[in-house]
Amino acid sequence: MESFLAGLDSLLLYVFAFCALIGSILVVALRQPMRVATALISTMIFLGGVYGLLGVHFIAAFQVLIYVGAVMVFMVYVIMLLDPRDPAVRSRFSPLVVPGIIGGLLLAWALVHAVHGLLGNATAVPARFGLKEFSVSFLNEYWLHFELTSVLLLAAVVASLAVIKGASGRDRG
Amino acid sequence: MDKAQLLLSLAVAMFAIGMVGVIIRRNVLVMLMCMELMLNGVNLSLVTFAHQSGTTVGAVLVFLIFVVATAEIAIAIPIVLMLVKRKHTLDPHAYTDLKG
Amino acid sequence: MHALTLIVILPLVGFLINGLAGNKLGQKAVAVIGCGLPLVSFAITVSMFMLLMQTGEARIETVYTWATFGKTSFEIALYFDRLSAVMTLIVTGIGSLIHIYSIGYMKEDASFARFFAYLNLFLFFMLLLVLGRSLLVMFVGWEGVGLASYLLIGFWFEDPVNAKAGKKAFITNRVGDAGFLLGMFLLYNALGTLDLDRINAAFLAGPVAVSASLVGVFLFIGATGKSAQIPLHVWLPDAMAGPTPVSALIHAATMVTAGVYMIARLNGLYLHAPEASTLVAWVGAATAFFAATVAIVQTDIKKVLAYSTVSQLGFMFVALGVGAYGVAVFHLLTHAFFKACLFLGAGSVIHALSGEQDIRKMGGLAKRIPVTFWTFAIATGAIAGLPPLSGFFSKDEILWFALASERGGSVTLMVVMAVTALMTAFYMFRLLWLTFMGASRMDHEVEHHVHESPFSMTGVLMVLAALAAVGGFIPIPHFLEPIAPLPKTLESMHAYHVPLVGLAIAMGVVGLIAAAFVYRGDLALPKRLRERFSGLHALLSGKYFIDELYENMIQRPLHWISEKVFLDFGDRRLFDGTLNGMASMANASGGVLARVQTGSLHLYVLLVLIGSFLALVWSWAHG
Repeated sequence: MESFLAGLDSLLLYVFAFCALIGSILVVALRQPMRVATALISTMIFLGGVYGLLGVHFIAAFQVLIYVGAVMVFMVYVIMLLDPRDPAVRSRFSPLVVPGIIGGLLLAWALVHAVHGLLGNATAVPARFGLKEFSVSFLNEYWLHFELTSVLLLAAVVASLAVIKGASGRDRG
Repeated sequence: MDKAQLLLSLAVAMFAIGMVGVIIRRNVLVMLMCMELMLNGVNLSLVTFAHQSGTTVGAVLVFLIFVVATAEIAIAIPIVLMLVKRKHTLDPHAYTDLKG
Repeated sequence: MHALTLIVILPLVGFLINGLAGNKLGQKAVAVIGCGLPLVSFAITVSMFMLLMQTGEARIETVYTWATFGKTSFEIALYFDRLSAVMTLIVTGIGSLIHIYSIGYMKEDASFARFFAYLNLFLFFMLLLVLGRSLLVMFVGWEGVGLASYLLIGFWFEDPVNAKAGKKAFITNRVGDAGFLLGMFLLYNALGTLDLDRINAAFLAGPVAVSASLVGVFLFIGATGKSAQIPLHVWLPDAMAGPTPVSALIHAATMVTAGVYMIARLNGLYLHAPEASTLVAWVGAATAFFAATVAIVQTDIKKVLAYSTVSQLGFMFVALGVGAYGVAVFHLLTHAFFKACLFLGAGSVIHALSGEQDIRKMGGLAKRIPVTFWTFAIATGAIAGLPPLSGFFSKDEILWFALASERGGSVTLMVVMAVTALMTAFYMFRLLWLTFMGASRMDHEVEHHVHESPFSMTGVLMVLAALAAVGGFIPIPHFLEPIAPLPKTLESMHAYHVPLVGLAIAMGVVGLIAAAFVYRGDLALPKRLRERFSGLHALLSGKYFIDELYENMIQRPLHWISEKVFLDFGDRRLFDGTLNGMASMANASGGVLARVQTGSLHLYVLLVLIGSFLALVWSWAHG
């Protein structure tokens, strides 16, 4: 049973990883922005699955909650807001297609080489950590980062309000 | 292939694909979404390393990246909206006012 | 007991007070300070002189150590021996008299305080010059009197002619100073010291590492600049643009004699420099002769006196050139008396005639301004060499040594000087006649206002005339014998000593009679002579066109080089061009680099990608 579950674990991991990859490629390749958004959502959900399989359930939850639930929803709203007859939809690719792809391949190769040696030895069995350990360390050791991010969010809120007020002000004027 | 290696390769691939997407696509919103893809790739690599090391540092950083990505989108999309209102198109080639 | 320092410092104090606060102090206070301090200096000099006569030894005072380089040090030290005593007495004595004269002369001038400040400044530097122990201190004084001269010639600087004259004086002096400096460098290099007494001792003791003649020539070039000898004499006539007391003090009695003093002081060096001495003698003779020829046709009262000064300085240099240093200083003394009297008398005439300086517009003044006339006449007699006035004694000595000295005396030299003496008598009596005698040729307005000068001016004239009369009896050459021994005279010439005296007197008398003859009556004779010899007259009036020669040979090329080479090419093309070129290069490269800023976001991100790829490769390659 153990080995079956372990095998299922690995299989699911491969499947999710593969699907995430397909999703990413689709993000870049699809023509209509709505479909691109859907591809991205699926990629994120598959990543969430990967996180779950790795044991960091709370991060998986955050991934779906924040990324899909807030960011991508906002994205979808905006896509729906904008005109589908936009010429950008018709011509998909920019003039820099070929250099872009070549550059991307080169970058990928360089990154793989760079990351290659960083893994170290996986012999030591790592300690598992759950939400409790995470929150304790977050609010004790990394409390400064916590406060700073709240400031950042405040700034984002203020900025959005400013943008909206400014935009509507100009409309009225 | 080792789990960690696979996931890292996937992270690198997602990052590269995202960057290529920003260069290739002609729709500003799609470019934004590709940037989200890049961030996801980074997150994945961080989670993998966190899983390897067992300390909470990686997880904290992932969480912070979530927050930053959210804030970023919250500002980027209104910017795009205002650009579109001005130029009436999502094509970034129309946004070349700051040409040197 | 820093008496020497006090002598030098007091005029400086006067300069500072009058210069900084003069305008607020009022004319009376300025006059008291301006004249009082030099008089105190004179008093101290007299007492120092008495002390010198008692003790008989030279006095050295070190004021201040200027600079020390390792083992060598340069000090500001003052040196008082017989020669310095004579010079200092002249400078402070006649200087004080001229200061007193200036009270009356400059009374209506708005810059009264500035004048006295500059005069005191001049005194300070001149005293440094004559009292300095080393060539360095002397050079400071040398330059300083040049500066004071520039300031005073261009005193009324609103008129650009005066400013130009001041500039000419200063620049011509500087050309000479280059020679002076070269001489100084050679001396220091060879002897390791610039102290005058040590230099003399070194040359007298034995052969020295540097050629004495070479040094002598260089130093003499400096003297030609300062003492207005050929070829650097061109500034002195122009310097008459300054106020008359300035001409009297600086350009007659003291500053221009600095060259004479310098050579007399370094007699130890010149005794061993026969080539240089010959040069000195013949340049002096040439200058004396040619200046006298020019003086004959001058029509400005001060210009006649200016050329006369140049000529008399030539006499002094002839004496130095044949080794009779004491005699040169003797003539310096008598010249100071009668030339100062002449200049101040001219100033009195100008004052009486409300500014008229052209002698063609004078005449008949003898009865109207008698004091001025008589003092002027006595001084004229002195310069012409009529006995028993002072000029006779000194000029006679010069003629004697020009003929008979074993160190370069010759018949030719004596004949040149005798002819010059004749011309001197002629043009001076011409001046006297045209200015004071005969019928009046003055403008009516001017004639109406003719008046004798105030006592502050005439008093000084009387003192100077008295000195010009009896000053010849002061036995200067004998007095200076311990320092500057008189040269031995040729045995063969001894027979001619008395006839020479007769010749000298004859020259003076003949000049007097000739002038009286030519310029009597209605001046028809000079007019006919002028027309007969018009070419010669033009040459002499144009001062042999030396100024024009310098202008064409030196000033024009320099101007051209300045304009074309340095300004157009060097400054504009090279410097500005380089800077502009660099700027346009920056501009161009900026233009090229700006092509990256296409505004295309895709390109920017591509560049980021390429950059990060390269960074990764680099960090991988470098471990």
